[in-house]
Amino acid sequence: MAKLKLASYWAAACGGCDVAILDLHEKILDIAAAMDIVFWPIATDFKYSDVEAMPDGNIDVTLFHGAVRNSENEHLAHLLRAKSKVLVAFGSCAHMGGIPGLANLFTREEIFRRVYQESQSTVNPEKVEPQPKLTVPEGEITIPEFYDTVKTLGQITDVDYYVPGCPPTPKQIWIVVQAIVSGQLPPKGAVVGASEKTQCDECTRKKQEKKITRFKRIATAQPDPDNCFLEQGFLCMGPVTRGGCDTRCQLSGVGCRGCYGPPPGVLDQGAKALSAITSVIEAKDEAEIQKIIDEIPDPLRSFNRFGIPSSLITRKVL
Amino acid sequence: MKRISIDPITRLEGHGKIEIFLADDGSVANCYFQVPELRGFEKFVEGMPIEEVPRVVSRICGV
Repeated sequence: MAKLKLASYWAAACGGCDVAILDLHEKILDIAAAMDIVFWPIATDFKYSDVEAMPDGNIDVTLFHGAVRNSENEHLAHLLRAKSKVLVAFGSCAHMGGIPGLANLFTREEIFRRVYQESQSTVNPEKVEPQPKLTVPEGEITIPEFYDTVKTLGQITDVDYYVPGCPPTPKQIWIVVQAIVSGQLPPKGAVVGASEKTQCDECTRKKQEKKITRFKRIATAQPDPDNCFLEQGFLCMGPVTRGGCDTRCQLSGVGCRGCYGPPPGVLDQGAKALSAITSVIEAKDEAEIQKIIDEIPDPLRSFNRFGIPSSLITRKVL
Repeated sequence: MKRISIDPITRLEGHGKIEIFLADDGSVANCYFQVPELRGFEKFVEGMPIEEVPRVVSRICGV
């Protein structure tokens, strides 16, 4: 049998997904035995022009990491879609927008002003900002257009599978690789490399169905290591997050961050978090409810840390 | 003027491209290194509880 052709690409990403693949360690050799890597910028020297020269459908599987933040990301999303039989949105950014998606709480102008004028390390009296096209003495040079709104891969093009996580765990990546190599893939559109249950189903911390009477911050209070974070008043996205990561954050002493996205049947993870977490507040009257809610640290970004672009509102609108 | 585009630069974390312009005699007339990437961490961490910042900015570079 001919080897499968594999591509791995990063759009608006940090490279952590690529490193998670490399964290398969010696199993990488098994991947190399079963697949030819035809495009992988972090590890190989293929150029965009090499991908453009391929016939459509030439790549068997592309693992696409990163959100779609600029016109280059969008171009590569369409290009790799055309060249790939199977396109996988790999990791929280491609799946839901991820950490780069937090930029949807601001406008392009606000971001440019902060980055290129106001930041403490910037000296830019002429207020120069990136230009998509620049004429230089030798000709014209270009950079991608920075979009106002970050999008998920699935909002840009047709996606076959979603692998959640920031980053996906090597254990789950290996399960996905085995499914690809054996051809035993689930129906199109499925979330793969994760569980069908919530984080709470996997969590080893003790739950006693306690109500929350106040919220605490991990910066100023110490959670005990054995009991449920939420029941101690520390935010945890476990009840509204898909399992599959072996609760790596909870085991390292912090509540679930929500990176594996919503569990099956939940449309909007942040809205569900608001509903689930506030429903366990115990208070005598509205004033006390308000006092407790006011203690929730940064609710907008805490409940939507990895998924603003895939939420129902997708960005700040006012 | 002859032009050589290296796009993308590879085997590192991040996005970059290099445009090299050659003079008629084949020597390098000029060269532009471009970083076509911005995500805006400088803005979107503003106002975030301080304990969250290390967990968010660790996604500037995951390599």
